[in-house]
Amino acid sequence: MVVEDNTRLLEAIAEILESAKYVCEKAHDFGTASEKIALYNYDIVVVDINLPDGSGLDLIKEIKRKSAETGIIVISARNSLDNKIEGLDLGADDYLTKPFDMAELLARVKALLRRRNFSGSDLVSVGEIIVNTASRQVLARNIKLELTKSEYDILLFFFANSNRVLTRESIAEHIWGDNMDLADSFDFIYSHIKNLRKKIVAPGVADPIRAVYGIGYKLENR
Amino acid sequence: MKLIKRTYIYTSVTLIPLLIIGGLFAFYMIEYISYEETDEFLTYEMERLVNYHEQNNDLPDFHNVDDILEDVKYPQPVFKDTLLLESGDNEMVPYRELRFSINHNGRDFTIVIRQLLPGRDDIAQGTLMIILGLLFLFSMFVILTVNFAARKIWTPFYNTLNKIVSYKIRDPLPVFKNSDIDEFNTLNVTLNTFLKKISSDFLHNKQFNENASHELQTHLAVIKAGTGKLLGNSDFTEEQLNELKKIHSAATKLSQAQKSLLLLSKIGNNEFSNNSNIDLADILNSSISFFEESIGLREIKLHSEIRSCKVFMDAGLAEILINNLLKNAVKHNIQNGFIKVKLMEKELIIDNSGADFKGDTGTLLQRFGKGENGNIGIGLAIVKEICELYNFSLDYSVSEKTHKISVIFNVN
Repeated sequence: MVVEDNTRLLEAIAEILESAKYVCEKAHDFGTASEKIALYNYDIVVVDINLPDGSGLDLIKEIKRKSAETGIIVISARNSLDNKIEGLDLGADDYLTKPFDMAELLARVKALLRRRNFSGSDLVSVGEIIVNTASRQVLARNIKLELTKSEYDILLFFFANSNRVLTRESIAEHIWGDNMDLADSFDFIYSHIKNLRKKIVAPGVADPIRAVYGIGYKLENR
Repeated sequence: MKLIKRTYIYTSVTLIPLLIIGGLFAFYMIEYISYEETDEFLTYEMERLVNYHEQNNDLPDFHNVDDILEDVKYPQPVFKDTLLLESGDNEMVPYRELRFSINHNGRDFTIVIRQLLPGRDDIAQGTLMIILGLLFLFSMFVILTVNFAARKIWTPFYNTLNKIVSYKIRDPLPVFKNSDIDEFNTLNVTLNTFLKKISSDFLHNKQFNENASHELQTHLAVIKAGTGKLLGNSDFTEEQLNELKKIHSAATKLSQAQKSLLLLSKIGNNEFSNNSNIDLADILNSSISFFEESIGLREIKLHSEIRSCKVFMDAGLAEILINNLLKNAVKHNIQNGFIKVKLMEKELIIDNSGADFKGDTGTLLQRFGKGENGNIGIGLAIVKEICELYNFSLDYSVSEKTHKISVIFNVN
């Protein structure tokens, strides 16, 4: 379920989740969300802290009372540390500040589902590349790849958003977070992806990463 | 200087002329009275002698008066000051003498009677004793009354003062006690008005920042979601995609800038106050490992010398400070450059290679100061704001393509 008071953003989030084959309920205010929480069980709830008729923090409490294994991702425009700490203390699993990239949200949802083991496996694969998210090992044609931390993060980000164009900004934000302005000149991203491609191609795997000129990159999964 | 001390000083200063005038007055008063009394005594004595002469027609004996001058006549009795040698002490002592004439059996006799006067030095000595005694009594009295009165009168003032001194902008407004002194009441009322205004301005400002941030970021999220979706659409021409990309990255940049500005205003508003003792070495080490890959990609040589550096500050701000400094050194570096990081007990120095910079390095620390590529930079402005908050001294210098930033902690 997604709880967000801005309907356009709500639609956008629901759309991206549905496009990734998730079933998604929408709630645009505290009351609706609270009702749904009481009636149904959700694998993951994405909740905005600032709602017109209540605080998302109270929703987190309700969710945790009802079913402790529900994963919670908090989204908030208030980049305040207090909210973040309070949300995580109440049992939220992850925290995103607006405006986040949809690709980033999708990656977080997938990671959370894996952590919560709703998908049943630590292994994700695209073509001949298999990533074990528990041991952080990457195999290409059964040959182990030695990736740096950033390369691994980028690869997993691609996996969560296969067949979707990722802008260089969103990749930068994914690896550097608030320090993303480091990548003003995107040569860092370029170098990381160049090295990543080299390592993937080495065992003879076809390069799945396609550069989209001027915009970013895309991982093709046929 | 304390109010009470000032009061003593002013009181003592005004006391000095008072004492001088009072001393002179007392001196002349004593002298005048002693003359008066002596003259009165001598006049009585003269009258007694004149009466005796009239009744008995007999002059007083030589040994009963001080001197008898024969055949000298004073039409009126005359008072005179004179000095006579006192044989016992062998010094001149002042006398008051009265000369008057009596006609005895057709001859004029002038009779001289004298009375010892207190010397001027004796009077001065006496006056001094009196004044000193008075001064002592007076001082004791003043100290006691001033102390008592000051405590009583100024209590409401100190009450108010203590409350203002300990007041912090996010505290509830202090309540000032009503006093029976009008001036203090006026002060309290005025202060209350100001504080209310300041506090509500602060809250409004804070709320405005937060609301503006919330609205802005939410709608930016919509823009980013929309453009992000369209970017994945392969039906567009390259030109259209290019335009979309511009919108997308402008939204991202706007969001970043807004976040940084919000952070700056929060630092300025003192909203980070979870101060604790922090070892910057830990933060620096994790920051270095965070940027390690980027440093490696540019083949930058990193030398670091890190010692324990304990600083009392907010942990979040410490992280932002170190991260921004290091990020700056990586971002504005060159291929095959170098970074030297030196953390000592009270100082952090980061040298890095970079482009030559001519001009005022102060502009680099300003918000949105223009860099050589026309880039907007706010990272160093945040560093500067944090340094100002904690009174750290920050120095940025460039010499021959080497940029050097040093932060000295705990400058008091």
